[in-house]
Amino acid sequence: MNLRVVGANLVVSIKSFYRERTAMFFTLAFPIILILVFGSIFMDQDNVSFELCVQDLDRTDSSAHLVKTLRLNGKFKITGIDPAINATQYVKDNKVNLVLIIPKDYETSFNQHIDTDDFSTSVTLTYVYDPSSSSVSTKMQILNAVFAVINQEMSGKPPFIRTAETSILTKKYRFIEFFIPGIIAMAVMTASLFGTVNLNTELRQKGVIRKLSTTPITRTDWVLSNILYQFTLAIVSTIAMLLVGYAVYNVSLQINAWLPVFIVLDVFAFVGIGMILTRFVKEAQSAAAAANAIMFPMMFLSGSFFPIEMMPGFLQTLARILPLYYVNEGLRASMVFVDHMTALRYSVIIGVFAAVVFILGIIATQWEEGK
Amino acid sequence: MTREAEHAIEVEKLTKRYGDLLAVNDISFNVRKGEVFALLGPNGAGKTTTVEIIDTIRTPTSGKVTLLGMNVTKKKHDIVPRIGVLPQGFSSFDRLTVRETLQYYSRLFHSRNTDVDGLIELVNLQDKAKEQYMNLSGGLKQRLGIAITLVNEPEVVFLDEPTTGLDPRVRREVWEVLLGLKKKGRTVFLTTHYMEEAELLADTVAIISRGKIIAMGSPGKLIESNANYLILTLQAVDEKAFHIVRKLGFEPVHDDHKNIKIRVGHTDDVQKILSANKDAGASLLSLDVRKPNLEEVFLKLTGEALREGPSGVRRTE
Repeated sequence: MNLRVVGANLVVSIKSFYRERTAMFFTLAFPIILILVFGSIFMDQDNVSFELCVQDLDRTDSSAHLVKTLRLNGKFKITGIDPAINATQYVKDNKVNLVLIIPKDYETSFNQHIDTDDFSTSVTLTYVYDPSSSSVSTKMQILNAVFAVINQEMSGKPPFIRTAETSILTKKYRFIEFFIPGIIAMAVMTASLFGTVNLNTELRQKGVIRKLSTTPITRTDWVLSNILYQFTLAIVSTIAMLLVGYAVYNVSLQINAWLPVFIVLDVFAFVGIGMILTRFVKEAQSAAAAANAIMFPMMFLSGSFFPIEMMPGFLQTLARILPLYYVNEGLRASMVFVDHMTALRYSVIIGVFAAVVFILGIIATQWEEGK
Repeated sequence: MTREAEHAIEVEKLTKRYGDLLAVNDISFNVRKGEVFALLGPNGAGKTTTVEIIDTIRTPTSGKVTLLGMNVTKKKHDIVPRIGVLPQGFSSFDRLTVRETLQYYSRLFHSRNTDVDGLIELVNLQDKAKEQYMNLSGGLKQRLGIAITLVNEPEVVFLDEPTTGLDPRVRREVWEVLLGLKKKGRTVFLTTHYMEEAELLADTVAIISRGKIIAMGSPGKLIESNANYLILTLQAVDEKAFHIVRKLGFEPVHDDHKNIKIRVGHTDDVQKILSANKDAGASLLSLDVRKPNLEEVFLKLTGEALREGPSGVRRTE
C-alpha cells in the first residue's frame, strides 16, 4: 500500500465529485430535502387539527353544547352546515370527507336520559363520509373516543379502567429526532453503494482501469482510496444533515463516538456490496439498475423512513436480516436513547457483516484484465 | 554487447489461448533497444494480445517473454515502473484537466521530477492544459495518452493502435509526436493496421496474421524481398488502354478510382506499355510508377488487403 498513491486517487475522486454538480446535488442535497419534507409533515404531529363539518338539525342548547365540547377537544376546526342542505350532496359537492349530523330530537332524548334515568334511551349521531379519503377513519376514531367519554360521564359512574403513561425516555422525543439517524444511515448507504458500482463500472467500461493496471497502483491502493473517498462524502453529508436538523428543527440528538463508528461500518458494508456487484455488472447503464435493486428494498424495509413495527410480521423478519436495519437502530440507540450497550451490540453485528462483504468485495474486484 | 544488453524485449515461443481460440500461435521475435518496432496486422490477428502480454496486462498460456531482462510473468512489479503503456481505446478521468491528469499519473509512478510542462509541450497541448479531458477531441485525447505514457521516463513505450479511429489529419499530428519519440531514441513497441504508419515510424516491422508472424524486417527489406516489382498506374480516357495492356500479357486491374493498376517487372515494361498505347492511339491522362508498399507485401503474404473504410472503420478483404 502506498499512501501517496491513495492520496492522489482521493484527490482525483473529490475533484471529479466537486466538478460533477448533478452528482454533488443528489449526494448532499437529496437527504437534506428528505429531512425538510418529512420533518415539515410530521413536525406538529401532536397538534394536528382536522376540519369537521357539523349539521345541527336540533338547534338547541344541548346540541350547541355538544358542538362546543368537540371544539374544546382541540382536534377539530368546526364548520357549521345549514340544516336545510342535503349532507350527502354537500360532501360530494364540497370535497369534504365527513359531515357529522346531530338529529332533530337530540335535546329531547338527552333530557329524557338524564331526567328519567332511562338508560335505554339513546340518540344516534350520523357520519356522512367519503370512504376514499385517507384521513376520514382517523377523524371518526377521534369522534368515537370523544363520544365514549361523554357516554361514560353521563353514566354517573367513575371509569373502571384508567390509564397512565410512562415513557421509557426521560425526555419526550419528536418524530424528526428518530428520522434523522435513519436518513443518515440511508444517505451513507446510497452514496457508498451507488458510488462504488457506478464509478468502477464506468471506469472499467471506458478503459481507465485497464490503463491504471499498467501503473504501480495496486488493487489495495484503489480499494482503500475508494473507501476514504466514500467516508469523506459520508462525513460531509452527515454534517450537513445534522446542521439542518439543529438549525431548522432544533433537534435533540446526542453526538458521540458511535456516530463515526456506524458511518465507517456503513461505508465498509455498502462499498463491499458495491464491489461485489461491480464484478457482475458489465455496463455502466445497468449499474444504476443493479444498485437500485439492492437499495430500494433496503431503504423502505429497514426502518429508515418508518418503524418496522408498522409492517407485517414476515417483513419485520426480513427487515432484521437487512444490514441497514442495524445501522439505523445502532444510530438511534446512540443518538436518541444514548444506549451504549445496544449501540455496541448493533455495531458488532454490522461490523461482522461489513468485514465479510468487504473481504468478498476485494476478492471480487477485477483489477487486472481477465488473464 | 550481450544479448540482454542489446534487446529490450525477447519473445520466445509465445502462445495465448482463450478457450478454443488460439489468439497467438508460437511466435518469437526480439526488439532491440532504441528501435521502433511495429506489429502490423488486421483486427483479430493477435496484435493486442501480444502487446498486452509483453506489457504485463495479460499472462501467456505458454512461452517466455523477457522485458528489460526480466520475465514479465514473474517481475511485473519491477517492470511496470520502467515502462509506459498506451492501451487500445485509452481513456482517462473526464473531469480532470490535462495538467491534473499528468500530475496524477506522475504521482502514481512516484515521480517527483516529472516535467509536466515539458510533456504538455512535447504533445503540443499548451493551449489545452486547463481543459478537462471530457472536452478534448479524439486526437487531443490520444496525444494526452502518449504524454501519460512518458510521465515516468520509461525505457520502453508500448502504443497499442495509437491512431485508430482518428481522421487522417489528426493521425498525422500524432505521428509527429511519435517521430519526436523516435528521434529521442526511445524503444517503442507499436501495434497498428496502418501500413503508412508502420513504414513511416518503424525500424522493424513484424507482420502478424491469424496469431502467427509471417514476415519481419525493416520496411525496405520486407518490400525488397517480398515485392520485387513496380506498380504502374494509368489514368485512361476509356477502356481501350486496359485491353491493350492485357494483350501485352500483363494482368491489369481497376482500383477504386477506375485507374488501371499493372504490376511490372522493370522500367522496360513501362516503356513497352506506353509505346503500345501510343501506337494504338489510346489516350492517357496521367501515369504513376512507384515501388510497392507494405500493403502489397501484406497482400502477397496473406492474400488479404488492409483498408480503412470511409467512416474510419478498418476492414479486411
